[in-house]
Amino acid sequence: MKKQLLLLLTLTLFYFFANAQLAKIKGTIYDTINKQNLTNTSISLLREKDSVLYKFTRSGAKGNFEMQNLKAGNYYLFITHPSYADYADKLELNDTSNLDLGTLIITLKANLLMDVIVRSKVSAIRINGDTTEFKADSFAVREGASVEEMLKKLPGIQVDKDGKITAMGEKVNKVLVDGEEFFGDDPTIATKNLQASDIDKVQVFDKKSDQATFTGIDDGKRDKTINLKMKDDKKKGYFGKLDLGSSLNDRWNNSAMINSFRAKRKLSAYGIMSSTGKTGLDWQESGQFGSGDSGPEYDADNGYFSWSGESDELSNSNYYGEGLPKSWSAGLNYSNKFNDDKQNLNGSYRFNKLNAEGAGNNLSQLITGENTFTTKEYGNTFSSKMRHSLNGTYEWNIDSSTSLKVKAVAYTGKSNGFSVNNSQATNSLGAVTNNSIRNYSSNGDNANLVASILLRHKFKKVGRSISLNTEQKNNQTNTEGYLYATIDTLNADGNLIRYITDQKKNDGSTTSSISSKLIYTEPLAKNVFAEINYNFRKTTSDAERLTHNKDVSGKYLNLSDTFSNHYKFDVTTNSGGLFFKYNGKKTTMSAGTDIAFADFSQTDLFTKEITNRKFTNFFPRANYAYKINQSSRVNIGYNGSTQQPTIQQIQPVADNSNPLNITIGNPLLKQQFNHNFNINFNTFKVLSQRGFFVYGNFGVQQDAIVTNTVTNNTSGQTVSQYINANGNYNYYFGGNSFIKLKKLNANFNVGINANGSKFSSFVNGLKNTTVNNAPGFDVGLGKDKENKYNIYLRAGYNYNFATTFVTEKVKTNFFTMNYNLNYTLQMPHKFELNTDLDATIRQKTDLFSENNNVFVWNAYLGRKILKKDKGIIKFVAHDILNQNIGYSRYISANQISEKNYQTITRYFMLSFVWNFTKAPPAPVAEQK
Amino acid sequence: MKKIIIITAISLFTFYFPLQAQTLFVAKGKIEFEKKVNIWKDIDSWSDDGEGDNWLTGMKKTIPQFEISYFNLLFDDTKTLYQPGRELPLDPKVPDWFRGPATDNIVFTNLDAQQSVSKKTVFDNTFLIQDSARKIDWRITGDQREIAGFNCRKAVGRIMDSVYVIAFYTDQITTSGGPESFNGLPGMILGVAIPRINSTWFATKLELVEVKPQELAAPVKGKKVDQASLLKQLQGPMKDWGKSGQRNIWKIMI
Repeated sequence: MKKQLLLLLTLTLFYFFANAQLAKIKGTIYDTINKQNLTNTSISLLREKDSVLYKFTRSGAKGNFEMQNLKAGNYYLFITHPSYADYADKLELNDTSNLDLGTLIITLKANLLMDVIVRSKVSAIRINGDTTEFKADSFAVREGASVEEMLKKLPGIQVDKDGKITAMGEKVNKVLVDGEEFFGDDPTIATKNLQASDIDKVQVFDKKSDQATFTGIDDGKRDKTINLKMKDDKKKGYFGKLDLGSSLNDRWNNSAMINSFRAKRKLSAYGIMSSTGKTGLDWQESGQFGSGDSGPEYDADNGYFSWSGESDELSNSNYYGEGLPKSWSAGLNYSNKFNDDKQNLNGSYRFNKLNAEGAGNNLSQLITGENTFTTKEYGNTFSSKMRHSLNGTYEWNIDSSTSLKVKAVAYTGKSNGFSVNNSQATNSLGAVTNNSIRNYSSNGDNANLVASILLRHKFKKVGRSISLNTEQKNNQTNTEGYLYATIDTLNADGNLIRYITDQKKNDGSTTSSISSKLIYTEPLAKNVFAEINYNFRKTTSDAERLTHNKDVSGKYLNLSDTFSNHYKFDVTTNSGGLFFKYNGKKTTMSAGTDIAFADFSQTDLFTKEITNRKFTNFFPRANYAYKINQSSRVNIGYNGSTQQPTIQQIQPVADNSNPLNITIGNPLLKQQFNHNFNINFNTFKVLSQRGFFVYGNFGVQQDAIVTNTVTNNTSGQTVSQYINANGNYNYYFGGNSFIKLKKLNANFNVGINANGSKFSSFVNGLKNTTVNNAPGFDVGLGKDKENKYNIYLRAGYNYNFATTFVTEKVKTNFFTMNYNLNYTLQMPHKFELNTDLDATIRQKTDLFSENNNVFVWNAYLGRKILKKDKGIIKFVAHDILNQNIGYSRYISANQISEKNYQTITRYFMLSFVWNFTKAPPAPVAEQK
Repeated sequence: MKKIIIITAISLFTFYFPLQAQTLFVAKGKIEFEKKVNIWKDIDSWSDDGEGDNWLTGMKKTIPQFEISYFNLLFDDTKTLYQPGRELPLDPKVPDWFRGPATDNIVFTNLDAQQSVSKKTVFDNTFLIQDSARKIDWRITGDQREIAGFNCRKAVGRIMDSVYVIAFYTDQITTSGGPESFNGLPGMILGVAIPRINSTWFATKLELVEVKPQELAAPVKGKKVDQASLLKQLQGPMKDWGKSGQRNIWKIMI
């Protein structure tokens, strides 16, 4: 106790003692001219060594001030007053200073002499603020000299033998090219590699720390910096990618891509040849080497971007079809910007060729009520498609509020193919009801053109805008095909009767449309907008299908009336709409409708029969979104739309491509109307890193376009015709929850999903309904340790309940399970190992008793090579267990079928990927 | 128009009064700040290299380069309250997920007691941060510029070890406050630039309004934290966000 008291006493004393040791200053601020003491003058103490503010005060009513508890040190006494010149003086304080500075006199700004500003103008050197600028061309260097050589000639700049630069006596730490640090922190890379003749100006300045360029405001740090301003036409360089891979026999995957740029002009080219499924540029590649034309569309109300690049069946990055693909593609793209980027021109050419050969088998069951037919079919196909495409875009931002965009896409192509199919059907007693051998070969060409002009104008009033989009589309296809089929069918007497079809088919179709849409938006009140639109569209289709039977002379001259027709189908649509939008801070709502008047004009050029029909349709849309917080949102929407029948569905002609399964168009087919409801909710807790989302979608189809299939109960042959039906719907919904397991540092997710439908069609004139429900759930676990490994595990389970009603109820229930394990390991010496196992387990059913379990195991071992790991050599093993097979199960109307088809199976490949760059990468968009 | 009149009025008295050597000092009123965030610069940092950023360039074209919002700073001698001000509809709007966190901060500072209470929306959380007022070692420079009619001197400071803050203050306003949590200069801060978060705050006008004591009230709602515990909560989740994660932390912690 005593000790503590003593300690307290000592401390207290020490405190007073220490306090007494701190310095103190006081003084009075006085204006001698106006003879007054100045209040509110700010008096600051700045540390002498770095001008950091230590303490400040303001003078009192009589101009007096006092500062206490000041630490010993060297200071500046800094006095400022808005109307007076600054006063600064050195002030040294020691521990015991108690300074009375007396009266400090300050002077009105108005009485000070103005600074004399001297400007020197030398054409080659300009001094602009703290920047010294040299005009590069004024300092002659030899042809082909590097920037380094030129720098040596500039006054005040020295370059030593290692390339180190000294400017105005200080070491240069940074060399920028057009204000950007393309070359990392080593300044010599830029100066040694760029040519002096590419440089417009050399600017030397104290760079005000890294980022001050954004504001132009100094933040205190300084680095002696040289900025090389390149001549606009000399910003050039290229980058590219080379990918070579071969299995040494039938699998190869080679591609080469390059983008070379000079100022804003970009020229890129690529070539791909692959038999492993790569058919075009992937998303990232198309950004670098593709036509890279228009950017995304931005939906400001909902805050999302959508990219809607034109894609056609041949421009996909990968092959998703059946069989083994071989593809060749090449592209060339040019783009440039003019007139301060206000005009933007883009042109590209693309070539594609895709060959696919496949083999597969199909097992199906057809239930008619009176009989059940089981058909086994196997076949081989080959197809080849070739296409030349041209694409051009011109954008002109006429001024800040008006823009014009003209776009044209065209292609011309050829396609050919052949297929051989064998099938046999048996009835419920096991007796053969039909056999077929079909050969079909075809040769065709096609051409397509889409051209559009979009003019947009924004008015000064926020939210008022007008846009006009006019578009023309033309499409033409011509195909010549030969069908040779040998068919045996069971007749009523129990005998198989053979007939042979030997026909030549000429199909020609032309579709052209022109449409124009005008949209005007007007702000009505705060956050409330109206949108009015008018749209005119005229579509003309012409389809000629001619089938000739082979006559005795061996020529295809007998026109078959059943399988031939020439039809014209014109649709003229006038539509207008009115929508209201509320765009609040948390709530966004919109509702309205388009109303469309469609005139159908159908002409059968064979029978000269003309059918005119009129439809009035509403296209209502409503959407409600509520933002709960920045990372939680709920959205509910409805929209209605019509779907016009295609000319194939409407043309009154039979298609006997498969003589056992004939389809016929229906000229009286109505439009299908779709109602669609959707709901979305998502929430993400950023700090606890967990989230949850649910989604749901429900669609109802009125006058759905379906088929009426009539089956011959003896032979099992079918004839289908398109027809409208009601009562069809489909839905899907699901939810997913994901959390970060903090202890494991892993991500875990679990979800449920379901989809289903009710599908009505007609079988032998009777309404048939198939109800399908497929619920499922999945779990996943992933862990990523940077530069070490990442692992992802997923398990999914889906059940399928299908019930079809014709005359009896038939149930088909089965489950499928899918497991996936993906693991990547970064190993020492720049090696990388990846393994991916995908297991699919499918339940057998009464009909499908074959083993359908497939284990696909892929792996690769790679090693990064070259500078900056720009290259990688990979050994790839695809489908090591050689089990990969294409598969689908299909349940509809009175038919259940399962299909197995050939896909790419086991191969081993050695590949080399090299990313190369020269000079600065693509110029980053300029700041204005 | 209103803004112009006010600025003109301010300019008039600053030019007029000095001649009479009778400067008007301001100790209470309302300052409007315009906060500008260079969204394009934010977007640039999403891509690690200049190559293959065509899609980012495309996105930038569709949205305005600067996201602009307004804040009011009410002050009376030693108390300041910084809070969201008028809303100017941006056309088109900048999507939420571009804007990042802490865009509607309310900051109350008691300069005498050196205490501050601020309310910040951080994604789905609302925090009430109670801590001592921010202390910055300001380096005073000789540079001067005019903001909203006031002659301002530049000072440079550093927060969170590496984030430079450039402030412009005027000694004509005697309250040593500023926008957000910035204070501690011999006068009112009328301009702030933080290059690391691509953001600036500049005063557009000063209104010499009466400030009632009850108007200068600290926010009360939100999860109570202090600066240190908030930073700790942010560091984990933001680690995976790369460059924008670090920037988000700075945006929240200013």
